[in-house]
Amino acid sequence: MMISAVLPLIGRRLLAAALILVAVSALLFIVLHALPVDPAAMSLPPNATLAEIDAKRQEMGLDRPLPQQYLIWLSQVAHGDFGASIHYRRSAVDLVAATLPATIELAVLAIVIAGALGIAGGLLLFHLRGTRAEPVADLGSIMLLSVPEFLWSLFFILVFGVALHWLPFTGRLDPDLRLPAGSGFLLADALIAGRPDIFWSALRHMILPCFALGIAFSPAIMRVLRSSLIDIYLEDYIHMARLRGVDERRILLRHALKNAFLPALSLMGVQFGFLFGGTLLVEVIFSYPGLGNLMVDAVRNADLPIIQLVGLTYCAVVLTINTAVDSLHLLLNPKLRLG
Amino acid sequence: MTFETERRTLLRMLGLGAAGAGLLRRPAFAQSSDKGGDAVTIGWPADVPAWDPNQRFTPDAQPIYKLVFDQPLGQNPALDLVPGLVTKWELAKDGLSLAVDLRDGVRFHNGDPMTADDFRYTFFERLKKPDRIDTKNSWRNVADVEVLSPVRAVMRFSAPAPTAPQWLAFLGSFVVPKAYMERVGVEAFQQKPAGTGPYRLADYQLNARIVLERNDDYWGMRPPLRRVTIEIIKDPSARMAAIQSGEIDLTINVPVREVVRLSREPGLAGEINPITRVILLQCRNDRGFADENVRLAAHHAINKDALSKAFYGGAAVPLPVVATPGTPAFLPDFKFSYDPALAKALLAKSGFGPDKPATITFASTNGHFPSDYDIARAIQQMWKSAGINAELETIDYSKYFELNRADKLPEATLYSWDNATGDPEIFAGYLLNPKMPFSAWKGMDVGAKVIELSGVADYGARVAGYKELNRYVVEHGATIPLLQSVQTLVRKNALSYEKFGNGWVLASTMKWG
Repeated sequence: MMISAVLPLIGRRLLAAALILVAVSALLFIVLHALPVDPAAMSLPPNATLAEIDAKRQEMGLDRPLPQQYLIWLSQVAHGDFGASIHYRRSAVDLVAATLPATIELAVLAIVIAGALGIAGGLLLFHLRGTRAEPVADLGSIMLLSVPEFLWSLFFILVFGVALHWLPFTGRLDPDLRLPAGSGFLLADALIAGRPDIFWSALRHMILPCFALGIAFSPAIMRVLRSSLIDIYLEDYIHMARLRGVDERRILLRHALKNAFLPALSLMGVQFGFLFGGTLLVEVIFSYPGLGNLMVDAVRNADLPIIQLVGLTYCAVVLTINTAVDSLHLLLNPKLRLG
Repeated sequence: MTFETERRTLLRMLGLGAAGAGLLRRPAFAQSSDKGGDAVTIGWPADVPAWDPNQRFTPDAQPIYKLVFDQPLGQNPALDLVPGLVTKWELAKDGLSLAVDLRDGVRFHNGDPMTADDFRYTFFERLKKPDRIDTKNSWRNVADVEVLSPVRAVMRFSAPAPTAPQWLAFLGSFVVPKAYMERVGVEAFQQKPAGTGPYRLADYQLNARIVLERNDDYWGMRPPLRRVTIEIIKDPSARMAAIQSGEIDLTINVPVREVVRLSREPGLAGEINPITRVILLQCRNDRGFADENVRLAAHHAINKDALSKAFYGGAAVPLPVVATPGTPAFLPDFKFSYDPALAKALLAKSGFGPDKPATITFASTNGHFPSDYDIARAIQQMWKSAGINAELETIDYSKYFELNRADKLPEATLYSWDNATGDPEIFAGYLLNPKMPFSAWKGMDVGAKVIELSGVADYGARVAGYKELNRYVVEHGATIPLLQSVQTLVRKNALSYEKFGNGWVLASTMKWG
């Protein structure tokens, strides 16, 4: 019954997602082609003549009106052809497919860390409410909120990489290990291949970037959870539970937290989109070979097909996560199913 | 929850944390102690675009390609041409053909022998195929490559190609195996490339890591190190942290001030090496720069020594011409003075003065090469003192071509130009050729000279011509050369390498102790 309540929502969301993706693709296409860069010149070597660049421009269809260029692009996309990278001269889809798993793996672990830190911090803030430690804890959460992920990255590298030598901070694996063939999701591939050494190495390489991402997004979760808990503690059912003699820990964990978690869950869904975007800088700093790293190269090289596809991928991921979170919300909150 | 419970929980958490830290710590130390004396790890700022060395001209990738593939000709540290896969070469007097003798007994990593057929395939047959390779442009004038024997061939050109020998040692000119490439196709070749170079590719992770193992059958000098790991670290701060932590043994392109700081760290050595890269102002010949006096005043107003000291620790050599010291068309005796008084006098001659400053627009990249935007701002101030108001805007490097094509470049653009060969055609001959996408100067006074020189086959006459051109373009304000750029490098003290004038850092020359 719960699943049947969720399916129409997923259907509606998928339809909306398709329309949004087409709109975003048009917007991206217009913006990218309005930029004063010359992809034809960028795709040729330094000694190309002006005549060769003009010929290249014609070959790439850049001399046609923008709407016509977009329609051609759209019809190619309908056949699964997102063009070839100007810089790598490889299929844009292949490049994105090769790098996307690394970023998803990073972002998922980071949101788990953000959630764990956010819930623990939220509970701590709630626990300290009304005490003399509350302003200090408040200030601490605001400080965490104000430090962006790239600063956390540099801080972690300096402390845990350079000073303490605890953790590696470049790439996905130790140099003496080889990537196992598989899905590109390294943790899963290592487990499937029965290689705990690769699993452990990959995990160690993920700890610093994931914490840099996660810690930057955790304060918002902490603060929302604390506020929700404060509101929920004013509800009658909490008083009733107390009157029934239920101990405080049980009230918090069994009754209040479940309901207070729903706004935090919505926030995590929204934040996942931002966090996914935040991987861009973090991947560059940690030399993590994911989508963000590819995007930075693409921007540097005016590699329009890659920028376009990576932009759409980001959009698709955000839409998917939002749909998933809304579905989860619907499953967890019976009130929403009644409507 | 009592205090006792909280204390116990806290102690338990601290214990778990310490144990976790211990677990994390052990492998990290194990990693650094595993490095033997025959391996090196390098932090490099860019990946190769593909494992097809003919495909894309990317200067940062050339030192990596040179480990796996070989070029027909090489360059010594002083940048003279030296034999590579080609042992003898002779350019015809008319520049229309180049006879080459190929090295005998060379094998590709897959075991195939390297012959004149591979040379013909690389420099002629591949150019006719639909492969998207940059060598199609560099070798566009190749009409045929005649194979005389397995070790002799003649390149024939449709127009004089005076710089053909230089191009055989330049971007993308690496010999690839015909039989293997045709058998497996380009995509499969990129997955498992086979060159004739001193190392073979052992592992590759896009945008992350390249692992190379020594080719023990290499025809040339055996590299001292058995294994080379290249970590692709694009962020300069991360490269600095990696060398400081010991994760890597050598890195390049870190900020100048950081080289000075890291040099003081025990076990590390920093270098700031001038290379064959020029920093210059690309000038228009119209609008606010139509008047030669204004252009020359703009040049006289720039204190290049001050720029070098402020932004490159004094290591960047001020340049009077668009060529670097030691290259064939450099003019060691030619000077162009820093003279603000003369700059003011030249402006006054054209009717400009304190009440009526000359006005121009000025563009610079920000982050394309070290301190670029800061240099532009300093120049803007120097010009202001002399009586030139420059409106400064930031542009992307890629935007330069589009602005130039649309004739929208400002009067002056701060620009950086690499020329690993040191040949004058690839300096002034490209930078001031109005038929190429780089030249902001469209005047045919200079253009005609450049085009004429591009057809001169006699090396002596060609170099003499470029020397004259270099002087002419500076004296007429067609370009404003500024500094010889530098390459920064930080390495472990115990690691040595051979220093090349063009900034190549080749792992094949590295050794410990």
